[in-house]
Amino acid sequence: MLNHVWIALIALGILVAVGNDVRDEITNPYANGVLIQGLLEGLEEGALEMKSWEGTLVIPAAVFNKVYGAGAERDVRARVKVAGGQGGTIFVPVTVEMPEIWKTRAARGQNADRLSGTVATLNAKNGTITFVLEPVRFVKLRAVTKAALDYAATAVTIALGLIGIMALWLGVMKVAEEAGAVRLLTKLLEPLTRRLFPEVPPDHPAVGAMIMNISANMLGLSNAATPFGLKAMEELNKLNPKAGTATNAMCTFLAINTSGLVLIPATAIAVRAAAGSVNPGVIIGTSIFGAGCATVAGILAAKVLQRIPRFRKVDPDVAGKEQSHG
Amino acid sequence: MGDFFRSVIEIISIVAIPLILILFLGWGAVRKVKVYEIFVEGAKDGFHVAVRIIPYLVAMLMAIGVFRASGAMDVLSSLVSPLTNLIGMPAEALPMAFMRPLSGSGSLGIMTELMKVHGPDSFIGVLASTMYGSTETTFYVLAVYFGAVNIKNTRHALPAGLIADVVGLLAAVVITRVLFGI
Repeated sequence: MLNHVWIALIALGILVAVGNDVRDEITNPYANGVLIQGLLEGLEEGALEMKSWEGTLVIPAAVFNKVYGAGAERDVRARVKVAGGQGGTIFVPVTVEMPEIWKTRAARGQNADRLSGTVATLNAKNGTITFVLEPVRFVKLRAVTKAALDYAATAVTIALGLIGIMALWLGVMKVAEEAGAVRLLTKLLEPLTRRLFPEVPPDHPAVGAMIMNISANMLGLSNAATPFGLKAMEELNKLNPKAGTATNAMCTFLAINTSGLVLIPATAIAVRAAAGSVNPGVIIGTSIFGAGCATVAGILAAKVLQRIPRFRKVDPDVAGKEQSHG
Repeated sequence: MGDFFRSVIEIISIVAIPLILILFLGWGAVRKVKVYEIFVEGAKDGFHVAVRIIPYLVAMLMAIGVFRASGAMDVLSSLVSPLTNLIGMPAEALPMAFMRPLSGSGSLGIMTELMKVHGPDSFIGVLASTMYGSTETTFYVLAVYFGAVNIKNTRHALPAGLIADVVGLLAAVVITRVLFGI
């Protein structure tokens, strides 16, 4: 299942990106290859024989809007640099006053701080200039490439960032285990855990770790919850007769975990407060209801799905039993 | 009312961790556990677990990144919106529903944006924040948790997690409609 969803995410992403880019090629929203006419202000005779010239470019709003459909309310003025005269290059640095279409064009082009183009004609006498901006192409495919590389790096940053916090909570957990604190918790919740995880012996350390994980999640201590959860997975894996395949207990545990039942959804409340809500805490009740439904549905789904042949066939506990019988 | 909740949350988030530390470590000391030695012994695992999850996390986040960057979310939203309109779920909240199981930071961004546009106390604002609190980032959790124990065949964990997500998100719509709807 995960295999299919994983490849679907990637394939769908790339297909949609190609689709968007093909549409852009046809509708040409960035006006690639269209000649833009403007006026260079304060151009002195002979100035353009110099290697490069800096000055002000003025494009009348009407001309600009004709090229891009719309976008400019006033004439567009920009400090530009013209290098190499006719056939040379024009550089337009990105400014705040610039029309949005030019800003997006720059953001999606090669260089985010400036637009560059090729000077087609240049008349030093009256200062008229025509130029073509560098084409903007394959915006989405480029974004997809960047995302794939960036997220791969992010994954490593996240994992390495976990080291310290993992070490801290695993240390605390070990002390609590030795002191018998975890065993006390497990005893207290035994009637519940025995039903949820029938394959796990009720006094197994896995149960303690799972309880710690779920309680930390409910209290909203997500950076303590992850280490407890991973510890729980390790303990559950010790009971797993078949390495590399998830057991029923693991799936049920994760169904509870991914439902994210939190007593006080602190992040959402903080964002509401920051956005100026008169009552940021109003979502506490609704969130508990939503996540409560999710938790119940998750547990039921896990319990039902583990019985269907497709998943039962590869159940490590079932496979182990059949092997020992035959 | 808002201030009250804010101070309660602040107190909990400040007090919780010191309390847990002193409770567990203190209990250990009372029970004559060699707290320092045992702590270090447990902490040793931290590094290995973190390194072990890297390949799983790279695979998962890369796929999610490609999906997000391509604009596929908008395509999906427009495909599903006729269906969700029937149950009274506004189209604006759909990207939130799709993003929530995929990415925590992504859905946080969408929630913040929706509140900025529609206001935190509007129907959509309350709905978005309820959705945010109603489920977890299933894909990330699966990658990290199964990665830590090198499990590749995840069996029914993903479908169960996604069913939980769908039910949680729908429950968020229903409860918000009942309590805050028109």
